Amino acid sequence: MSVEEQIREIVAKIVHVDKSLITREGTFKDIKADSLDIVQAMVAVEDTFDIEIPDEEAQKFQNFGDFVDFVERCLAAKERA
Amino acid sequence: MSQPLQGRLALVTGSGRGIGNAIALKLASQGADIIVNFFRRRDAAEKTARDIEAMGVKAQVIKANVGDPAKIDEIFDTIGNDWGHLDILINNAASGVGRSVMDLDVKAWDWTMDINAKAVLLCSQRASKLMEGRGGKIVSISSLGSSFVLPTYAIVGVSKAALEALTRYLAIELAPKGICVNAVAGSAVETEALKFYIKEGLIKDTRQATPAGRMVTPEDVANTVAFLCSEEAFMIRGQTIIVDGGTSVAPFATPE
Ligand SMILES: NC(=O)c1ccc[n+]([C@@H]2O[C@H](COP(=O)([O-])OP(=O)(O)OC[C@H]3O[C@@H](n4cnc5c(N)ncnc54)[C@H](OP(=O)(O)O)[C@@H]3O)[C@@H](O)[C@H]2O)c1
Repeated sequence: MSVEEQIREIVAKIVHVDKSLITREGTFKDIKADSLDIVQAMVAVEDTFDIEIPDEEAQKFQNFGDFVDFVERCLAAKERA
Repeated sequence: MSQPLQGRLALVTGSGRGIGNAIALKLASQGADIIVNFFRRRDAAEKTARDIEAMGVKAQVIKANVGDPAKIDEIFDTIGNDWGHLDILINNAASGVGRSVMDLDVKAWDWTMDINAKAVLLCSQRASKLMEGRGGKIVSISSLGSSFVLPTYAIVGVSKAALEALTRYLAIELAPKGICVNAVAGSAVETEALKFYIKEGLIKDTRQATPAGRMVTPEDVANTVAFLCSEEAFMIRGQTIIVDGGTSVAPFATPE
């Protein structure tokens, strides 16, 4: 499963929405996620991929696609290290 | 001049900002080395660590969600490996979901109770092992919401009531090990969390209503925590000390 698909599954499970509703252009607001959902999603993704998503970075995400791109960059950096 | 906490090691959960930051700086100013724990804001935690090191003591930053028991184990395994002991534990980290009782669900309950209450138990259990043979101090941070009803504060209030009850049990059961356990409860303290509550109109700006004439600051709470960590407080056990400028004993007071 791709990184994007794994993140989509994690978010869908936490927010209780169907995966198909989570698009790269969509936002947490679009799927009616509250602040607790968002922080739980960040924590679950951090734990799954063993990476860190600092709040100051997360605040820059405009949509789900930005979130996925950030995780992919972290994983690439980890691979290089 | 030797400082009262020189050579002691303190873990302050959630100490990157707010009250935890003030407690970490206060204990460091008295000579303690500090473990700075954070959850989401690494920048703030690293700044706290730099400020601590500038006082000539050591600081170590540990990221961990204290709501996750496995992460609590990681914190204490790290402290055990790197330092081999602990003298002071401050259970300060807290989170919550601002809702009325009828809107609470399992997710909000578990999230808040895990971070604000369960973590106090698990951290205290692990800390007491690292205090074995040397004694120690455990101070947990509570709020007036444990005994008084504040709008949308239900779940946090309940978690703080659990924290205060746990403080009493821990104080008695850990007394034979030379560990002093207490809590400090603040009223509205000027922090980011409070600004949020005022902005949302959930609590009134209590500045004028405080008998002491000003709001409680993080430093006011930190000073009381530092006292409870001192030898002068040795006979205080299982108490929750209220730091509120008199608000709770004068509920009907109106500002002049
Ligand atoms: N402010 C008040 O009016 C008031 C009044 C009475 C009592 N209190 C109590 O005082 C304590 C500190 O409150 P505050 O106002 O300083 O809060 P704050 O400004 O919201 O800061 C909360 C702190 O807790 C940390 N934290 C949150 N969830 C965590 C988790 N799961 N694991 C580890 N750390 C976590 C945060 O870390 P990050 O920085 O990484 O997010 C932050 O350092 C709390 O126990 C609170 O209930 C506050």
